[in-house]
Amino acid sequence: MKLPKISLKIPKIKIYGIDVIKNFLFFTLFIILTLLVIAFIISPAIHKFKSSKALYYQKKYDFEVTTKIYKQKLTELKKLKNANRKILNAMKRKFDANNFKSFVSKYMSISSIKEVNSTVYQKDFLKTTYIMKAKIKSPKNFYDLIDSLKNYKAVLRIYFPIDFIKKEENIDLTLKLEHYMLNPKKAK
Amino acid sequence: MYSFTKPKPKPLVREDTKLWLVFIGVSLILYISFAIFLQIKSILYNKDIKNYNKEIVTLNKKIENIKNEKEFIYKQKTLYEDIMVKNSLMKDSIKNLLDLIPDPITLSSIYFDKNKLIIYGITPTQDIYNMLMLPPLESIFTETKTYFYQLPNGWYKFKSENYLKEKQ
Repeated sequence: MKLPKISLKIPKIKIYGIDVIKNFLFFTLFIILTLLVIAFIISPAIHKFKSSKALYYQKKYDFEVTTKIYKQKLTELKKLKNANRKILNAMKRKFDANNFKSFVSKYMSISSIKEVNSTVYQKDFLKTTYIMKAKIKSPKNFYDLIDSLKNYKAVLRIYFPIDFIKKEENIDLTLKLEHYMLNPKKAK
Repeated sequence: MYSFTKPKPKPLVREDTKLWLVFIGVSLILYISFAIFLQIKSILYNKDIKNYNKEIVTLNKKIENIKNEKEFIYKQKTLYEDIMVKNSLMKDSIKNLLDLIPDPITLSSIYFDKNKLIIYGITPTQDIYNMLMLPPLESIFTETKTYFYQLPNGWYKFKSENYLKEKQ
């Protein structure tokens, strides 16, 4: 029996001079390469691009929201500072005995102001205690002094002991004066 | 051997094969360029994301600082208002005490302390003092002691010690 002869050579089928088999194989190769590139290069790149883009817009939104909150808080802070300007300035102000003497001169004549001690108060503040001696005409001068402290540029508290001693036409007044201000370390 | 036709040069790659190879090559270049473009865009997005993250962290720190600053302003305000209120209370309490002094009695000295009031003065009689001045003092203070010294003109010099016991 005679075996059939097997040929591995691709047969050439030509239509109008075009090799159909070869072109079909190239077309198949092109499709395969395209699919491979899409599967292993373009698709991961698109996926990464999409997730980066989504994250970018999310972060951009977060940034805009945070900026809005920051601006809002800053405006609130400015308003608060403006509303309490007098207090904030008073808390920074050091005590000047001569200035205080002239400030209260219409109510009393201060003979001496002596510093007793200075301590840290509530961590952030500095409390300095003074003993003040003065002459007043009547207790009303003392009340006026206390009322005027609301308008004084430093923060002062009248504290015990308070001693009134009648001397001829005047009253000798001795009292403890406490000055409060920002702790210089905190102020820095 | 002789041939009647001249030999034609045979190219290594035929024209249609060359066309396919160029087409496939250009396509691959385009695909890869597109992928590179997407990668570059992703890198730029990631860079912007990092910048936004930094900005957000900075802004959050600033917001925290603003919060602390506001709290500190409120603390100062509270202290200031507390001091002013205490001054007013001090004034009112001293004014109320001095208003208690009846007309016939003259004071020579008053000493106010946190839990103590010492008054020196002159009264025409002990009864006037005991009727007009002692009851209000006793209603305010937990302990009241009075010492009288008779003067040559018959009036009495007195010393009144008044104490407030702190609640335990």
